[in-house]
Amino acid sequence: MNWVIALFDAGVIGVLLIFLVISAGAAIAFRNVLNSVLALSVFSIVLALLFVIYQAPDAAMAEAVVGAGLVTALFLVTISKTGATGGDG
Amino acid sequence: MKLHRIGVAILIVILSVTLAGALAELPSVEQRTSTSQLTRRVIDGGLQDTGALNLVSAVLFDYRAFDTLGEATVIFAAVAGVVMLFYQAPLHPSSIGLSMLAKRSLDSIGPFVFLAGMYVVLYGHISPGGGFQGGVILATLTILISIVYGLETERRLLDPTFKTTLESSAALLFMVIAFGGILTGEYFLSNLSAGFPRGEAGSLLSAGSLAPLNAAIGLKVGAGLALIFYSMVKREPE
Repeated sequence: MNWVIALFDAGVIGVLLIFLVISAGAAIAFRNVLNSVLALSVFSIVLALLFVIYQAPDAAMAEAVVGAGLVTALFLVTISKTGATGGDG
Repeated sequence: MKLHRIGVAILIVILSVTLAGALAELPSVEQRTSTSQLTRRVIDGGLQDTGALNLVSAVLFDYRAFDTLGEATVIFAAVAGVVMLFYQAPLHPSSIGLSMLAKRSLDSIGPFVFLAGMYVVLYGHISPGGGFQGGVILATLTILISIVYGLETERRLLDPTFKTTLESSAALLFMVIAFGGILTGEYFLSNLSAGFPRGEAGSLLSAGSLAPLNAAIGLKVGAGLALIFYSMVKREPE
């Protein structure tokens, strides 16, 4: 039964790592900065999950709270204040 | 334009290969804990040296407390800069908040968010968390209030001058505790050797100066980040 658990662990970590890369790429690729900010928020959540799996709850808590909460809020305020929409301009 | 994109792609590939190579060179966790003197010292002697069950907090607020002081100074400077930058901007109470449903929802979860923040701050030396994480949770609560109830309500609830005072006095509290070490003939930021009570490991009042240092950092970070958000939000777009 041990190998089933090991396979499950590897699968979960693999899926999370793939999500991490996808969300990071999406944050760069999106034309609209609003979408980029949200992708960055997803990136932080997935990274926090990975920190928990690798037994670093302190880092996970900081990453989740700062990355998904505070930084997203500050970015959203900045976008709404400057009226930036993104694109190449 | 095209050339620029190709250059970026090449740069990313080079960076990835370098990072992957560095990752392969890293020793495994077992190897590291068995060979590194520093890791063994903290894992084996951390509880004895600091009385804290959470070894991450033990490192942050005892072994390397001076680094934490530097970190707090960076946040302090950032907050001072942002507040100074937006100081002239008058407050425009533009938002009256969201719908009644959102307000009642915040009424229900708000106290629990506050409780979670305080718990993470006060139990930083026992369970995962600490002053920084808990402080950010508390700051997030003020952000939620200013979004759901409008900025004017948040300003009436927590005056900016009060937040400034709170942040500065928390920084002063940190320094007072730090100088306590010198007063007893020990070093700056000494913990148990300066006579702070060890207490029973795992209880709330234990680990000497770790708990008050955590509380000071928590208040400082919470008030500071709330101030940054408030200063940025109150300015109307021209």
